Amino acid sequence: MAVAAIPAGGIAGHIHPEPQGFVRRYVFSLDHKIIGIQYIITAFVFMVLAGLLAEVIRTQLLNANGGFVAPDTYNEVYSVHGSAMVWLVIIPLLTGGFGNLVFPLQIGARDVAFPWLNMLSFWIFPVAGLMLFSSFLMGAPTAGWMEYPPVSLQGAAGTSMWAAAIFLVGVSSTMTGINFVVTILKMRAPGMTFTRMPLFVWGQFATAPLLMIATTALAAALAALFIERQFGVPFFDPTKGGSPVMWQHMFWFYSHPAVYIMILPAFGIISEVLPTFSRKPIFGYKLIAFSSMAIALAGFMVWAHHMFTSGLAPFLQVPFMIITFVIGVPTGIKIFSWTATLWRGKIHYTTAMLFAIGFVGLFTLGGITGIFLAAIPFDLHVHGTYFIVGHIHYVLVGGSLMGVFAGMYYWFPKMSGRLLNETLGKLHFWLFFIGFNGTFIPMHWLGMLGMPREVATYDPQFTFWNRFESFSSYLMTFAILIFFVNVLWSIRNGKRSGPNPWGARTLEWQIPSPPNYYNFKHIPTIYGLPYDFSQPLPYKGLEDELTDSPPPAAAGAH
Amino acid sequence: MSVAAIGADGHDGVDQLYVETRELRLQGFLLFLISDCVLFSSFIFAYLYLRNSGQGWPPPGIQRLDVAFAAWNSVVLFGSGATMHYALENFKHGNFIRYMWFLLATIVLGAGFLGGQAYEYNHLIFGEHVTWWGSGIFGASFFTLTGMHGMHVFFGVCYLTVLVLQSAAGVYTKGKYFGITAGTLYWHFVDVIWVVLFSIFYLI
Repeated sequence: MAVAAIPAGGIAGHIHPEPQGFVRRYVFSLDHKIIGIQYIITAFVFMVLAGLLAEVIRTQLLNANGGFVAPDTYNEVYSVHGSAMVWLVIIPLLTGGFGNLVFPLQIGARDVAFPWLNMLSFWIFPVAGLMLFSSFLMGAPTAGWMEYPPVSLQGAAGTSMWAAAIFLVGVSSTMTGINFVVTILKMRAPGMTFTRMPLFVWGQFATAPLLMIATTALAAALAALFIERQFGVPFFDPTKGGSPVMWQHMFWFYSHPAVYIMILPAFGIISEVLPTFSRKPIFGYKLIAFSSMAIALAGFMVWAHHMFTSGLAPFLQVPFMIITFVIGVPTGIKIFSWTATLWRGKIHYTTAMLFAIGFVGLFTLGGITGIFLAAIPFDLHVHGTYFIVGHIHYVLVGGSLMGVFAGMYYWFPKMSGRLLNETLGKLHFWLFFIGFNGTFIPMHWLGMLGMPREVATYDPQFTFWNRFESFSSYLMTFAILIFFVNVLWSIRNGKRSGPNPWGARTLEWQIPSPPNYYNFKHIPTIYGLPYDFSQPLPYKGLEDELTDSPPPAAAGAH
Repeated sequence: MSVAAIGADGHDGVDQLYVETRELRLQGFLLFLISDCVLFSSFIFAYLYLRNSGQGWPPPGIQRLDVAFAAWNSVVLFGSGATMHYALENFKHGNFIRYMWFLLATIVLGAGFLGGQAYEYNHLIFGEHVTWWGSGIFGASFFTLTGMHGMHVFFGVCYLTVLVLQSAAGVYTKGKYFGITAGTLYWHFVDVIWVVLFSIFYLI
């Protein structure tokens, strides 16, 4: 057997002894699964904080004249809310969190390529998060999550803290990206060809280069903003020859790919959940996989569609508009493939499935308003209004966050060995779904009527719908509260799940829940796609995984 | 042999790795260099954007940079690229003594380049009163980009010094010398960046 032929330092050397002691095991852990869970917990803590800020915003907007917080405080609140939700919640949850937790298991690896780097990426993240929230102590940034100069140049000291914090999150993301690319390229189990990889892995594979490349571009912009603010070195200040529009170019060159960082892994989650609960092979496997890559690539060529009102030359605007329309094509391919996966499937309405189906619907709505916004004449009309706010929340909450919840209900058994409570889960879904739509649908027509975003007061004629939105958002917050209660209750009292509660076919479900620290006793060999529900599992070498036999290294460990 | 080929043969193949092999590190390091390259590219974009947005270049009141001195300084840096190349080649072929000499030569040339840059900065700041913060977008882009590059050279020199000490202590063997490969790649990367910076600041 090939195993016997491997010299000393081979297999035995590769399975490290199980770390002992709480700190090594759960705090400064090198294990990708623990690091993934650390990411998820930390990001949810930040989500609570940023969510409270969101409720401050909605409470302020209950009345046309505001009055809940001072206008300056309101500016700080929405700026930090946006920054925290993007950089401290959605991106870490989908890449560092679910990415770390799931994809090494799905490619049959024992860990990511650089476990130390992985640990370092994680530990930078909470530090950066605390820095971002601490900016409230010295006057938080007030120019929104985009921090356009010259307002950001005049902002309080916290704006520099903001830049430093986001820079650090970026360093963490870049390291995660490098780690994931190398892991997917080099550490797949034998037989796991690119066209046999589960679609969640494809999602991460399309995202990781974006993390690596786009984030560095943002780092440059943040560094320039920081040194301009601290040392007076002119980059963006027009009175000294700098250009505020240049910030917009540098920022959106990152931040447009960043919206794909926030959605491609969620596409991956949905592509796992839908076939599992439809009991049908995913429709158009290769189309879904390659369209992710197409989206990632084209995502670098559309940034200026955020800048149609910034005085860009018309001959530049039109190509950006057209390429943006073109991105709708690979995204549409996915939507059709998912719908076709559901078609005549034997659908199991678990909570994870509800969130996945909800994702498909809500993301489609968000995508369509995105196509509206790509059209220059329409964009000129609604730019800087609540239409934009509605659009971004449909893709980031209705899309990414619904994907996160689908992933939580789907993979929670793999993390903890217990199922989340389905009754509470369904309550969570329906309240969240209703609250979400109630909060964000009216923003579209308020925006078209001209209600500007990022302003602490509004015209009294908009009062009814703003109150409607605010009360809906309280419902949404209550739904998320149910989710946290569900998680905390189920960790101790949930039904034991066994290795594979869903009858899913990807590799991570063929090993115990939660998996052993070494993941696989023997690295399996892969013979085909994981989605052919009528066929036997396309894996060999997994016979011992669910038995009590010791891992091979236990005999020959150091 | 590709992973796919192993699977198709149907035998167990090599058990996957927990340790970081040379191959993994090399790929990770190359990706790091790519993202570092993006960092420079962004600032280069900013420089070119600002340069083309205003009143001609160099802006009124600022003299053109001295090409001749920077050209000689560039020759020093490119020379260090050559010596680094020979250092790695000699190490691969087992000529340890020559490897050490070439490595030391690289460090000396790298430090020489930094000295030249310090002289140039000194001349600009105190001779022509061009500063980072006080000379508009010219000072901002020139000092930020060349300063970033200089920092990279400085860290490279530090790293190569560590390599010398490690090599003297016998850390690297004929089969295990990723640290030297990484140093060489990094040094060439810094050279290539300088080619671009020299062209866009001194030549055009």
